[in-house]
Amino acid sequence: MDIDVKNLHPLEVKLLRFVKPGEDITEESIISGLGYKVGQCNQAFSWLSAKGCLEEVSRTKKTIYEMTDTGRSMKEEGLPAERIYSFLGENGPHTMPEIAEALSLEKSDVGSAFGLLSSKGALKLNEERKAEKAGDLPEEIKVQRAVLDRAAASGSLEEGELSAEERKAIAPLAKKRGASSSPFRIQEREVVVYRLTSAGEETRSAVIEANITGEEFGVLTPQMIQTGSWKNGSFRPYGINAPTSRLIPGRRNAYSEYLQWVKDKLIALGFEEFDGPLVENEFWNGDALFMPQFHSARDIHDVYYVKDPVHAKEIEEPWLSQVAATHENGWNTGSRGWGYAFDHEFTRRQVLRSQGTVLSAHQLTKAHIPGKYFGVVRCFRYDQVDATHGADFYQTEGIVIGKDVNLKNLLGLLKMFAEEIAGAEEVKYVPGYFPFTEPSIEVHIKHPVLGWFELGGSGIFRPEVTEPLGIKEPVLAWGLGIDRMALMHLGLNDLRELFTPDIESVRTRRGN
Amino acid sequence: MPKIEVPENIFYELLGKRMTDDELLDIFPVAKAELDGHDTEGHVIKIELNDTNRPDLWSAAGVARALKTYQSGKIPSYGFFSTKDDEKPSDGRIVIDDESAIGIRDYSIGFAAKGRTVDDELLVNLIQSQEKLCTNFGRKRKTIAMGIYRSELIKYPVHYAAVDPDSTKFVPLGMTEELSLREICEKHPKGRDYGHIVSSFPRFPYLYDDNGDTLSFPPVINSARIGAVEVGDSDFFIEVSGPILDDLLLAVSILACDMADMGFEILPVKARFAKDTPYGREITVPYYFQKPMSASLDLVHQKLGEDLSENECIEALARMGVHASAKDGMITVEVPEYRNDFLHGVDIVEDIMIGHGLGNFEPVMPADFTIGRLSPQEEFSRKVKGILVGLGFQEMMYNYLGSKREYIDNMHVSGDEAVFIANPMSENYEVIRPSVLPCLLESESVSGHAVYPHNIFEIGKITVKDPSDNSGTRTVDSLGFFSSNAAVGYNDAASYINTLMYFLRKEYTLAEAKDDPRFIPGRAAEIIYKGEKVGVFGETHPQVLESWGCSMPSIMAEIDLDKLMA
Repeated sequence: MDIDVKNLHPLEVKLLRFVKPGEDITEESIISGLGYKVGQCNQAFSWLSAKGCLEEVSRTKKTIYEMTDTGRSMKEEGLPAERIYSFLGENGPHTMPEIAEALSLEKSDVGSAFGLLSSKGALKLNEERKAEKAGDLPEEIKVQRAVLDRAAASGSLEEGELSAEERKAIAPLAKKRGASSSPFRIQEREVVVYRLTSAGEETRSAVIEANITGEEFGVLTPQMIQTGSWKNGSFRPYGINAPTSRLIPGRRNAYSEYLQWVKDKLIALGFEEFDGPLVENEFWNGDALFMPQFHSARDIHDVYYVKDPVHAKEIEEPWLSQVAATHENGWNTGSRGWGYAFDHEFTRRQVLRSQGTVLSAHQLTKAHIPGKYFGVVRCFRYDQVDATHGADFYQTEGIVIGKDVNLKNLLGLLKMFAEEIAGAEEVKYVPGYFPFTEPSIEVHIKHPVLGWFELGGSGIFRPEVTEPLGIKEPVLAWGLGIDRMALMHLGLNDLRELFTPDIESVRTRRGN
Repeated sequence: MPKIEVPENIFYELLGKRMTDDELLDIFPVAKAELDGHDTEGHVIKIELNDTNRPDLWSAAGVARALKTYQSGKIPSYGFFSTKDDEKPSDGRIVIDDESAIGIRDYSIGFAAKGRTVDDELLVNLIQSQEKLCTNFGRKRKTIAMGIYRSELIKYPVHYAAVDPDSTKFVPLGMTEELSLREICEKHPKGRDYGHIVSSFPRFPYLYDDNGDTLSFPPVINSARIGAVEVGDSDFFIEVSGPILDDLLLAVSILACDMADMGFEILPVKARFAKDTPYGREITVPYYFQKPMSASLDLVHQKLGEDLSENECIEALARMGVHASAKDGMITVEVPEYRNDFLHGVDIVEDIMIGHGLGNFEPVMPADFTIGRLSPQEEFSRKVKGILVGLGFQEMMYNYLGSKREYIDNMHVSGDEAVFIANPMSENYEVIRPSVLPCLLESESVSGHAVYPHNIFEIGKITVKDPSDNSGTRTVDSLGFFSSNAAVGYNDAASYINTLMYFLRKEYTLAEAKDDPRFIPGRAAEIIYKGEKVGVFGETHPQVLESWGCSMPSIMAEIDLDKLMA
């Protein structure tokens, strides 16, 4: 049997225990037998039918005369006709208004009752135009009285139970809907007869066997604990798979959490975090990285310029002189330089940071040796915004400085990133090109989900980068493209989604 | 990154054999090339070149040369290069630069080639190589412009001068009527693209032969006669002009080697300069101008972490097409004719690395012990985030660039302290956000469908003007939070602030925030910490909500975390 009797509602349990196999089950029998309200009864029928425990045997239409509150008080106080008849019998003739006044009846009710009674010869008007008794109470009123009395016992009468005479008598007392001023309300009702199915019989036996009564405790209240009443019974087990309600928690942003995870990984690998302002100048954004001032990536169409102030006040020395000399003739780095005249105004021009490596360059001027540094920093790129390009985005970059660090260490570092941060299955290195590193290496990885892709770029900073910034030791520089992994982690395929303002979308987003 | 498209058969011919795509994928990295695609129907191979300092690799011939040399270890040799002491015969072919071009576009040099009839594919390929050199290496023709001409129509010497742009006229390629140089700048498509390079000068560069027939108006357009190269031609004159002589020499060398690889005979042409150059007043082109470069074996060992022998270094360099010799612990290279990217010994080291094979270097972890550490801002931010999440707030993340309408107009603020971009790509991204609050309001404006209350926050950077800073700006780590609901009000905001400050252990006082149009007057407060204003909060002014199209009452707050941390 696939019904877990523990999941049955007390209304169902009690019904199952109450009925016998093969017997007719009706709303009436359940209401009178178990004291259910009509609504509870309907719920129990509907739930048990849905579970296949009950089947419908027949369905018949019935007209029910339901006694209203008016009907109940009329039963106690008497019908207007009865009351007028007995009042006049006891107190002698009275005018209509006097009767209405004395019996607290509407004048119209008194009028219509008098009309009825006088037409049957029970009352008449005398010369003083007062009503007085003239004969016996008509049979019709007596029948109405009997109907009222019978109805009072069960609250309603079924049309089929009434004689032709009774039907005629009840007609003026009943109205179809609303009218609470009438003693009866006419209800068209379907009487449905159910019977236990075989599954219902099995469930019934199981309920009895499991000793579930439907009287188990529902909600545990403070009173139950204080009085100890809970000790006198058992708790109704709840359906553990019932639908849950939606909660809206305070929550971290899923992308921000991913970036935090990356940062924590890097911390664990011994890196110290750096950060910096969004507004940079051409000196740090390009010159310090030994990118010649005429480099194509430094074109007006590749970098965002700041409108005001256009220039930084000054570039720190000795870095400015040393970098300028390196560009022009190599300074004393052993390089021949780019061989052009360094533009000292252009170098102060302010831009929005276009690459994270800028902060690595800054870090060189204050680095400890040995040292490992990283930043997850926002950069700006002059690009048309689409699914794969944002106006601003995060870059993850860093450096490793040490007396003896070399290419083999760079490969080791990349392997570590590939395994620890990307969960790579295989790692492949290929020669790359960056203006500020030589040699330069790209690392491609085989990701368990994404397949082969370029995880990052790296290299050993050129002496033309490090020496003018006061570093004699070799410096490994690396950058990781983590956005692709972040998108995969978040189940997205559009970079713009990472910064969506849509609250609902952020609320429901989660990492893998 | 330069990308080229090469007809299969030209590429395979240059390689000397057919190679499968898998074989190409394997070998391409030695030229820092990537297989960008292979159109097997159109028989075109697409290649992306990553080294922006190696223009010699931006052509089919260049890539093929690198691959072939790597596989064979045989360094190609080109016999047509002149040096200072070894001048190849130019047989009366000469380009004479006039002093009028000095300061405008100083030099023009060239060479001739013959011996192979160009078909469609070869011509397209040749023009592609020329375009890559002029666009990527020559910075959109600013420093290098190149013309290919029908050599048999030219009467040497060829003259290069700067001339009057209005009286000098010729029929430009692609047109049938004679135009002045100035008219070409205005009317010809190439004139509109490139005319600006020279249009500010009183005189424009002009190339013509000894008969006075026009070759071209560099760097804009060839003439329709001598400058109209077509399928079936086999004799060419190639001319390069620009302000930087070394760049021109290199461009010529690259194209000459490429054409030699394609089976052309290269015919030297003399160049007579109008001013002194490091190579004298007269040279024969193609001209070998590169100087030897050295790297100590120590540098090699230090950078690569591998004690390669002198011979291993020399063999590795040979695979890269570089002649090298070793003496007293120094490796000295003769830079190949078509390259000029050796600035420092480390450039030799990289070639040794690639030539030796990157796969032959074992990954080793750096041995130094270092301590990992978050930035103080990050640590503090995490603390703040924890408290806000506990208070039921959803963390958001936003872009930092936006429009004036969103960041300033909708907030009813002046925008005086906002930092604008001088060259915005569109007005949607024209200013760095001066506050987190407009971002939070944008969320509210697009999230009417999300169940209320909306409790959101962000910790991110904002940028404001700050005259005391060297940059005149200050980037701030800023916390913004926002709550909207039918019943939210000032007291809720004050309670959030109070709770946050309690757990951050920050003692603060409040001052009435006057004249802040973002808030309802009298229902906003400034947060004072250590005597300084560090933030503001209050009930959002309905005029702000209206501007954003929001209809739910809200409170918002913004705090300068850098100042609060101090």
